[in-house]
Amino acid sequence: MSLVIDVATGAVRGGTSILFVALGETIAERAGVVNLGAEGSMLTGALAAYAVTAETGDPLLGAAAGAAAGALLALVHAVLVLSRGANQLANGLVVLFLGLGLTSLFGAAYVGRSITTFEPYAVPLLSDIPVLGPVLFDHDPLTYASYLVAPAMWWLLYRSRWGLALRAAGERPEVLRTYGRSPLLVRYLAVVAGGLLAGIGGAQLSTAYANAWFENMTAGRGFIAVSLVIFAAWHPLRAVAGAYLFGAALALSPALQARGIGLNQFVLDALPYLVTLIALVVLGRRRGNTAPESLAKVFDMTGRST
Amino acid sequence: MKWPVMQSPVLQWPGMKWLVAVVAAPVIFGAFVAARGVEPLSMYRDMLTSLVDPAQAETVLVRFAVLLLAGLAVAVPARAGLLNVGGEGQIVAGAVGAAGIGLLTDRHLPGGAVLALMVPAAMLAGAAWAGLAALLRIGVQVNEAISTLLLNFLAVDLMLGLIYAPWKDASGFGQPSSRPLPGTARLPLLANTTVNAGIVLALAALAAVWWALNRTAWGFRLRVVGGNPEAARRAGLRVGPLLLGAMLAGGALAGLAGLLHFAGTEFKLRPGMTTGFGYVGFLASWLALHRPLRVAAAALLLAAIAMAGDSLQIDAGLPAASVNVLMAVVLLVALGTRWKAKETAA
Repeated sequence: MSLVIDVATGAVRGGTSILFVALGETIAERAGVVNLGAEGSMLTGALAAYAVTAETGDPLLGAAAGAAAGALLALVHAVLVLSRGANQLANGLVVLFLGLGLTSLFGAAYVGRSITTFEPYAVPLLSDIPVLGPVLFDHDPLTYASYLVAPAMWWLLYRSRWGLALRAAGERPEVLRTYGRSPLLVRYLAVVAGGLLAGIGGAQLSTAYANAWFENMTAGRGFIAVSLVIFAAWHPLRAVAGAYLFGAALALSPALQARGIGLNQFVLDALPYLVTLIALVVLGRRRGNTAPESLAKVFDMTGRST
Repeated sequence: MKWPVMQSPVLQWPGMKWLVAVVAAPVIFGAFVAARGVEPLSMYRDMLTSLVDPAQAETVLVRFAVLLLAGLAVAVPARAGLLNVGGEGQIVAGAVGAAGIGLLTDRHLPGGAVLALMVPAAMLAGAAWAGLAALLRIGVQVNEAISTLLLNFLAVDLMLGLIYAPWKDASGFGQPSSRPLPGTARLPLLANTTVNAGIVLALAALAAVWWALNRTAWGFRLRVVGGNPEAARRAGLRVGPLLLGAMLAGGALAGLAGLLHFAGTEFKLRPGMTTGFGYVGFLASWLALHRPLRVAAAALLLAAIAMAGDSLQIDAGLPAASVNVLMAVVLLVALGTRWKAKETAA
C-alpha cells in the first residue's frame, strides 16, 4: 500500500511540470500551431525562475519570470511561423536550440548555487485524508495551481467564447474571419499563452521539484509533453491523466529500489512512449480525426490532395 | 500579416537571406555574449583562428560527415513528402546495431571483418527503426512526424537499457558503457590526420543519393509522390512501397551516421553519445530545402559553428552550448526569409 502511495505521490510531483507544458501545447495546437520549442520555453522558464528566485529570494516572483521567459521564446516561434511562414516543425526545433543556447550562456552562473525555493505546504484537513491526502495535498504551491489550471482550461476551451474562437482558428480559420475575428491574432495569443504555461512548468521543475539549475535540465520533458498532447487527443483533462502516467513511470523504479527490488529503469522510461505509440495505432484513424484540421496540414507535407 | 518592406525586389533576391543570416546572426549573438561580459570582436577572432587551425578543421570534417548523413536521412524521405524527425533515434539504432555486431564478433574475427560486418548492421538497424514509422504510416495512418519523434526516445531508452545491464562493460568504471571496440575494428584514419574514413563513406553516400534522386526513375517517382500522392496513385504508381523505400533509405543513411560516430569517434555506447545529431541534421536538410548538395553545404556550416563552440569554451570561458544561439539565429533568419511563404496558414 505504501508503494502505491509513494508512486502516486511521485507521479504528481514529477508529472506537474510536464502537465503545465502539455496544457500550454494543447492551447497552441488547438489553434493550429505545433510548437516543438515547448522544450525550449520550459528550459528558459526554468532558468529565469531559478535566477530571479536567487536574486530576489521570492520564488513566486521567480515563477512569474519563468512564465514571461517561456512566453517570450514562444513569441519568437509565433512571429516566424505565423508572420514569416516558416515551417512549424523545423522552426520549433530551432527555437529549442535557441533556448538551449541562451540558458547555457546565462545559466552558468547559477549552476550549483543553492537558493530558497518553494516549500511543500500540507493543506490543513485535506492532507489528513488517508491515501489521497499525502498524494494530492502535500505539495508546492505551483502543483496546487496546476489543479486549477487544467479544469479552467477545459472550461475555457469548451464553454467560453474565447475557446470557441481558439478552436475555430485551428479547425476552420475562414469561418472565424467571416465573423470578423482575426485567426492570426488568436493564434499569436495561443502560442504565447502556451509558452507562458511551459515557462511555469519549467519554474516548477527548477524551483519546486529539482531545486537546482543545470544545463539542459528539462532533458526531453518538453518533448514528452508534446507527445502527450497527441496521446490526450488535444483534451486538457486527459492531458492530466497522461502527465501523471509519465510521472508514475518516473517514480516507480526508485520506489521499487527503495524496497530492494531492482528493475531496469529504462524499460520503465520507455513505457510512456510505447503506450503513446500503441494508443496512436489502436485509435489510429479516430484520433486522426480529432486532430485540429490545420494541424493535419502541418504534419502532412504532401497535403491531403487539396 | 504582410510586411510591405519585405516585398521589395531587392529583398526578394534569393541570396538575400544568406546575406542577412551572415550579418545578423553574429551581431545578435555578439550582443548576447557582450551581455555576459565577453568582448564579442575578440571572441569572433578566436573562433575564426580556431577554425583555421588544422587540428580543429579536422574535427569539423569528422563532425561534418555525421551531420551530412543525418541531413540526407531527412532529405530522401522529404522528397516523397515524408517528415523524418527521427534521425536521432535512427542514429542511435545504427550505433546499437554496430555495437551489437561488434561485441558479438570482435573476439573471433579480424578487425577489418568486424568493421565490414558493422556497416551493413548499422544501416539495417537504422532502416528498421525508420521502417517501423513507415509501416505505421502506410498501414494504420499514424503520422510519421509524430511516430519518428516518439521512436527517438524509445531508441535512447533501448540503448540505455542495454548498456546498464546486458551489454555493460564489467571492467569499466564510472558511467556505464559498453565494452570498447578494439582498435583494429575502428574506422581507419586518413593519412596523417585525425579524420576517419567515415568521411569517404559519407561523401559516397552523398553521391549515391544525388544520383538516385536526380538521375533515376525511382527518384522521379518519389518526387511525384511527394508532389501529389493522389495523382501518383492514379498514374499507377505504387505509393505505399515508394514511401516505405524512401523511409528505409533515410533510416539506412542515419544508421550509417550512427556507425560513423560509434566506430569513428566514440568506440563504445555511452549515455548522451549522440547529443542532437539527428535534430541538427533535420535542420541542415531544411536549411538546404532537401537538396543533397546543399545539405552538404549546410552540414559543413553547422559543423563549423558547433566546433566554434568548443573554442568559445576554451578561449572565452563560455559554455560550449552557448554557440547554439548562433546556430539558432542563422536558422531563424534562413527559415523566416523564405521569399514566398507557401504556408497554408490562415
